[in-house]
Amino acid sequence: MSRSEAPADPPLLRVRDLSIAYRTARQWNPVVHDVSFDVRAGETVALIGESGSGKTTLAGAVLRILPANARTTAGAILFDGADLGRASRRQLRQIRSHGLGYVPQDPTMSFNPLRTVRSQLYEVLRLTRPERGPAAEAEALLRRAGVADTARVLDSYPHQLSGGLLQRALIAAAIAGRPRLLIADEPTSALDATIQKGILDTLGQLRAELGLAVLLITHDLALAAAHSDQVITLDRGRVASSPYAEALFASAPKPVAVTLAERADDTAREAPAPALTVDGVRKTFGRLTAVDAVSFTVPSGTTHALVGESGSGKTTLARIVLGLLRADSGAVRLDGRPVDPTDRVALREVRRDLQIVHQNPYGSLDPRYTVSRIIGEPLVRYRAGDRRQRQARIGELADAVGLPANVLQRRARELSGGQRQRVAIARALALNPKLIVLDEPTSALDVRIQDQVLQLLRTLQRERSLTYLFISHDLRVVAGLAHTVTILRSGTAVESGPVADVFRSPADEYTRVLLESVL
Amino acid sequence: MKQLLRRAGVLALVLFLVYTLVFVVLVVLPGDPISNRLSHPDAGYTPQTVDLLKHYYGVDKPAAVRYTEGLLRALRGDLGHSLADGRSVTGKLADAFVPTLQLGGIALLIVLVLTTVVGLGALYGRIPALRVAFMSVPSLVYSLPVYLVAVVFIQAFSFQLGWVPLNGDGGFAATFLPACVLGITISPPLIQVFVRSLINADRQPHITVARARGIPELRIFTRHLLPGAALPSLTVLGITIGYLMSGAVVTETVFTRYGLGALTQKAVQQHDQPVLLGIVVVNAAVFLLANLLVDVLYPRFDPRVQPRFSHAK
Amino acid sequence: MPSSARDTLLADLGAEGDPGVEAGRPGTARRLRGRRIPPTVVLSVLVIVVVLGSAVAPSLLAGQDPINGVPSDKLASMSGTHWLGTDYLGRDMYARIVHGARTSVLSAILAVAVAVSLGTLTGLAAALGPRWLETPLMRLIDVLLAIPSLLMAMVFVAAFGFSSGNAAVAVGLSMIATFARVARVEALRVRSAPYIEAAEIAGTTRVGVVVAHLLPNIATTLISLAVLEFGAAILALSTLSFLGFGAQPPSPEWGQLVAEGANFFYAAPWLVYAPAAVVVIVVLAVNRLSTYLDARAFDESL
Repeated sequence: MSRSEAPADPPLLRVRDLSIAYRTARQWNPVVHDVSFDVRAGETVALIGESGSGKTTLAGAVLRILPANARTTAGAILFDGADLGRASRRQLRQIRSHGLGYVPQDPTMSFNPLRTVRSQLYEVLRLTRPERGPAAEAEALLRRAGVADTARVLDSYPHQLSGGLLQRALIAAAIAGRPRLLIADEPTSALDATIQKGILDTLGQLRAELGLAVLLITHDLALAAAHSDQVITLDRGRVASSPYAEALFASAPKPVAVTLAERADDTAREAPAPALTVDGVRKTFGRLTAVDAVSFTVPSGTTHALVGESGSGKTTLARIVLGLLRADSGAVRLDGRPVDPTDRVALREVRRDLQIVHQNPYGSLDPRYTVSRIIGEPLVRYRAGDRRQRQARIGELADAVGLPANVLQRRARELSGGQRQRVAIARALALNPKLIVLDEPTSALDVRIQDQVLQLLRTLQRERSLTYLFISHDLRVVAGLAHTVTILRSGTAVESGPVADVFRSPADEYTRVLLESVL
Repeated sequence: MKQLLRRAGVLALVLFLVYTLVFVVLVVLPGDPISNRLSHPDAGYTPQTVDLLKHYYGVDKPAAVRYTEGLLRALRGDLGHSLADGRSVTGKLADAFVPTLQLGGIALLIVLVLTTVVGLGALYGRIPALRVAFMSVPSLVYSLPVYLVAVVFIQAFSFQLGWVPLNGDGGFAATFLPACVLGITISPPLIQVFVRSLINADRQPHITVARARGIPELRIFTRHLLPGAALPSLTVLGITIGYLMSGAVVTETVFTRYGLGALTQKAVQQHDQPVLLGIVVVNAAVFLLANLLVDVLYPRFDPRVQPRFSHAK
Repeated sequence: MPSSARDTLLADLGAEGDPGVEAGRPGTARRLRGRRIPPTVVLSVLVIVVVLGSAVAPSLLAGQDPINGVPSDKLASMSGTHWLGTDYLGRDMYARIVHGARTSVLSAILAVAVAVSLGTLTGLAAALGPRWLETPLMRLIDVLLAIPSLLMAMVFVAAFGFSSGNAAVAVGLSMIATFARVARVEALRVRSAPYIEAAEIAGTTRVGVVVAHLLPNIATTLISLAVLEFGAAILALSTLSFLGFGAQPPSPEWGQLVAEGANFFYAAPWLVYAPAAVVVIVVLAVNRLSTYLDARAFDESL
């Protein structure tokens, strides 16, 4: 089956002036406006945009799986010449099972948790290839999707398998009907970096072998650029103008090597006295060793990054540093003072100098509090100044983190994600702490906002000689912010040292894999 | 297995505590039932007779002694004797159990039918207004008092339409009418949870994925939606057994049927302590067993809650 | 990062309904939901106000004597003088229902007060108190849950004696477990929220966290449950008096009115329908208000 079409051939998928709206309580809210694009056979088109750009809605529209309150208000989608909007139930089923393949976003949620992978794959196979027995076919498909241990995967329930394996099984199901177009909606965003690469390689391979066209939906600009023939940028439901697209790409984290080169002078400063000392910290939960004898020091006024994938123990370690969790052995010192959860009075004193910015800006602010009260809480609790002085301080902090004065009386739910994170930073700054733990502070934000928040953190560090403990899985961000780094894997520190040294000449194999997976 | 034994142990403990709590409430509070009922001058008993009766029923003993004796007897399956007619409580309960079991069984079937119908309507109703109508069924029915439904049903089906004989052994029809009343009035919590679970299940990504694969809707419903929604409902089914008991009191009283409910009503009226204590213990036992059964069955339907996985991670 | 396609769809929706999200303007859709009160809720509040009014000052709404009737007027049907007819002793049904609100509503309030105070205390103690207290309190909740609530109320009433006040306390005691369970679950849920951790790191003491962050965040849920249980209490109390274990004649109570009326159903069906309809309407209104409050609590927690 060769699909070497001449350029004159009609496109496989044509989206024409498409507009989609959702009905909320009383009105229709347009989400996609006048979007047009083509996907030719064998071509990969990346659809990129920030959250709220309408990219997932577009994918859902092609598959006609939008919720009942969505409506196509104008335009059409043509697949292989057929208008999907006018397709009968039967035609639609035929197109879904044989024309289109769908690789969803979150593999752990995309299987029925009550049935084995085998029964769910067979269900698809009976539909697509009734002429052959499903058993051999299922194994062949899984192998094709890069699964080696097919028997185990088939006999497992979804919760027993990793996200990476489940995503491969989903890919197997998606190619079962020999589709011509694969719609991949953020196929790797829920996966760890090292696994992401493997999945993308598999998709690329299948594309070549089967002559698949791919519609790749993603918020990851680097990924889109590297894996597609054509990139379409969406901005609030419209195909974006080129300045917007350029600005978006400019805000994306640069490759590690580029960032390191840019920071050459910055990283070459001499080491001042250590602000934070972590010495042989160990923590087990039952049989699981979450953190195993990790040691590092953070010089005052610098940023130390804890890098690792999910389950590497980086969050546990952060909680120990904050005194929220007691280490089984080892010690944490801030400026020579022990951080010890058993001594609550001393801990409270140390915490003046030890603050946090959480990962999720939606959960870390009390929904019932105004912004001003949230920022002022540490001041009130540590009785810093009188009422008037505190008010002045709150205003000053809001200013420092770039919050407009008119948000001070609002509640967290009225703010955007970026603004919420600024509130959290202002709260952390309130008592002039020495160390702030930044727990993936930007991973829940869109790229442009991410960039702004990182910029703010850098400025604040320079102006107030703050020390950061920066927890992240994103090596590109780490390269831009951190001075020293510790790479964690299953609770063990595999490598530690200045960022430039570790990233340029990794001594450990795992570090090398991590670096390769982000380019 | 160890898990099951532990659960059975907790069940026994809770049952023991139920016995103790009800005993304390009924006995330690002022006034004993014999004097309450008989020492009124109009009752026609001399103080001597009352004392004699008190002694006969053992009500004159200290509460602690009666508690210990009662508990030891209860462990052997003897719940004492009724203060009203002197019959053994166990015997009375056994007699009343069968008609209530029939009533409750049919009522539960009716609940299941109603739940399925409303669930399908709320999920697949053609127009939004219809789906909303189906979704508001439980809260409408919930606000109907059992006694009202019972009185209206008797009026309509027995007196006016004459379909169901009111008294005597009317066979199936005579049980079916009260069972309808009971089933309708106890159905709202289950329907509510089932409808909510169905709609929730419908929004799961894996359902969307199945639709995107072109799997027929009927199969999606029977193989993916229904099992997903039935699981949370299973827990509520256990709780519905509790409502069944409460509903039976009113239903049996209004329909003048014999059964546990009617027995309860009479025992309260007559301050018949031993009978009331027995009824509560039996009720609690049925309720706890039903819930234990649900908990034991749950992992069979949901591979995620197998004990060895629930503790990992 | 959105965890599922659904979340992204919702994110698409939210952001599109409000192009100003990044500029920090409140979401239009959400604001509408937050501020504009649906008409059914307004109607429900109106019903509740009228009922509370008749509980406080029944004579203002109904001038006729609810206790002493005119025997010659017995079993009169609905008319200008007797809006809802009269009962078998010639007492005006409208007056009896309005005056019945006093017993029914005040008893229900008493019942909910008992349940809220004891139940919430138990639940919070189980969730936030010392470790050793948790198991005994959980067992207590198990015991209370194991006895069907109407049956438990009947046991209490059998012990206390038959009266509307006793019935109210009995119903209140039978509802403790519901509040205890919800209070405990909510307290545990809120306690694990990141903002609680953030407050602790901001230097708030343990007691301070409970008072300033935890209680305010579970209050709305508990209030909506209290409103819901108020409806349940009305139903339970009217059931008890229907069975003859609650308010005693001649003072009127809704369930008891239905019981009396049932004897004359064929001749005078309004004697059943009128008081029963009041119960149904009040319970419906209360439920509607409760769902509305619940939805608001959910919105606020976002």
